[in-house]
Amino acid sequence: MTEHLPILIVLAPLLGAVFAALTSWFWPRVSFPIVLFGLAISCISSLLLVFEVPASGVIHYQLGGWGKQKEYADMVVGIQISVDYLNGLILAAVTTIALLTAIYSQPTVERELEGQQRYFYALFSLLVVGLLGITITGDIFNLYVFMEIAALSSYALLAYGKKRATMASFNYLIMGTMGACLYLLGVGFVFVKAGTLNIENLSQIIPDSLFSSQAAFVGFVLIIVGAWSKMAFFPMHGWLTNAYTYAPTASGALLAPLATKVSVYAMLRIMITVYSIDYIIQSPNIQTVALLLSTIAILVGSFYSLTQTNLRKIACFFIVSEIGYMVGGAWLANAPGLKGAIYHVVADAAMTSAIFMVIGCIIYRLGQADLKKLDGLYYRMPVTFIALVITMAALIGVPPTCGFFSKFYLIQGAAQAGTWHFVIALLISSLIKATILFRIIEIAYNKVPNPAKDGNETIPREEAPLTMLIPTALVALGLIALGLATDTLVTDFIAKALPAGLPS
Amino acid sequence: MEEIVPKFNYIVVVILMMTGLWSMLAQSNLIKKCIGMAIFQTGIILFFISIGAKNNASIPIVAKEPLGQALGQAHAPEGSQPPAKPELAAAKAEAYPDPPDVNKLTNPLTQILMLTAIVVGVATLGVGLALAQKVYQQHNSFDEDEILENQTK
Repeated sequence: MTEHLPILIVLAPLLGAVFAALTSWFWPRVSFPIVLFGLAISCISSLLLVFEVPASGVIHYQLGGWGKQKEYADMVVGIQISVDYLNGLILAAVTTIALLTAIYSQPTVERELEGQQRYFYALFSLLVVGLLGITITGDIFNLYVFMEIAALSSYALLAYGKKRATMASFNYLIMGTMGACLYLLGVGFVFVKAGTLNIENLSQIIPDSLFSSQAAFVGFVLIIVGAWSKMAFFPMHGWLTNAYTYAPTASGALLAPLATKVSVYAMLRIMITVYSIDYIIQSPNIQTVALLLSTIAILVGSFYSLTQTNLRKIACFFIVSEIGYMVGGAWLANAPGLKGAIYHVVADAAMTSAIFMVIGCIIYRLGQADLKKLDGLYYRMPVTFIALVITMAALIGVPPTCGFFSKFYLIQGAAQAGTWHFVIALLISSLIKATILFRIIEIAYNKVPNPAKDGNETIPREEAPLTMLIPTALVALGLIALGLATDTLVTDFIAKALPAGLPS
Repeated sequence: MEEIVPKFNYIVVVILMMTGLWSMLAQSNLIKKCIGMAIFQTGIILFFISIGAKNNASIPIVAKEPLGQALGQAHAPEGSQPPAKPELAAAKAEAYPDPPDVNKLTNPLTQILMLTAIVVGVATLGVGLALAQKVYQQHNSFDEDEILENQTK
């Protein structure tokens, strides 16, 4: 049974999506439990697998039994999925956050998408399938297919929102399709030169014989630019803020933490495994450009977040700057930078998830999340407010939380590489996030609402329903737990995911 | 002429892709953006199909069992094939008493990949047109600038 766990991670939510869509014709109420069940199976199998990786090494699973072929010089024919140190962690993060978000989403979906829950949950599950597929697959064309599965369901999920959501989603569709097409074109270039699409085979063929090939270089650039436009990296970030701001609460809470982070993983996989870090060190021009762009991304995201008053839009601009952290860390191409980037993929998934869940709770009760309307939030929704403060502390990088450790590694890596502009951008971004935290505290804690106005003796407690509040609190506490578990995560997983012989 | 003719397929692909990309990014009409998207994808599909095509070659169905070998040679990467081991060569000779001419076989993989890509492209185009229709219902226009004006009102 356990040998089939890898495929179960993807298959359970896929079957969940199919059955949720089919049964919704007869019993609309059943679709939510089915999706929840599929996600739970996926979550359990991924957690089981992650802890198996340090014990038994990288786990490979050959679809249809088409594994290494003896008469084909031990090349892998067919599609292979594998769980190793790099994607194991991300699989666990994606499945856990997806499960918690599914539980969390139920009251908001009931309110915002009356009568459409069944379609929504089928799409929800399909999106998770796409994200998990990107993470687990061992084949670069298969990665494209899963990328499009995730993208197509996310266009639909985002377009469920009101008013401006449709147009925002359309813009996302144009940018997303362009990114995916560039990626596919890059895959074509790689395939022409290497004759295979399997990541394991490519990781041997490219360093062996294609380091000086022009076509392989063009393929690399196309794939990276495609991944960048999928993850909303600086010049291509325009679609993200509107698309996520006007989306339904549940769609935002699922997409914002996961979709961009999984694209970062795809970039890391291409950089570390397929082309190897030596390739990046060998081409310093793109390295310089990528580092410069990530510095600009961090600054642009942070400064724009200062100008906004809608809490959700602020969070969206945070994503733009956090993407800059990860891309920059990866392109530093030294051990601490890469450790920081990989750690930050997991940490930022949790942080973004927490902040979008908190904002969802606020919207559920107050109808909106405008900074000016948050008067006395602490007195009305204490748990939500504390979760918000913990999340903001993590985003700033206050020590026991996970945000501190990723920033620690990133700054260490940047200092080692001598990329001081990146260090300065990281520090400025922290300062700006601290400014926003103090602004929130100023409004939500210091302005005590007047209870006498409503004729009440005390200020009424208006927490969101427990099904929303518990996942929010869990993710917020998870930020601290992740921070405390940094040592284990880094030494047991992330350090082993790095290629040997890196400049340490 | 001798420069152009062997690279004719690539030139067509580049023209198609640039037309599509320009239409996706520079046109303000949403439907034209969708059309541009379809043209861009067609360019990529043509690129893949043309790299897999070969003159006077047929589908790689070989009578004797291991198919993988013939495929591997039909699309051998330059200089990436490991040196042939003697025992491997013996196994090959046993499996193929009468080896097929690899120049007469095409690599079917590109066409299979493009079947998938066509499906993805059709689905994307469908979602794009559906979204454009929804936008039209809201704003009574397909023009991006008019929609933007309408939104900020």
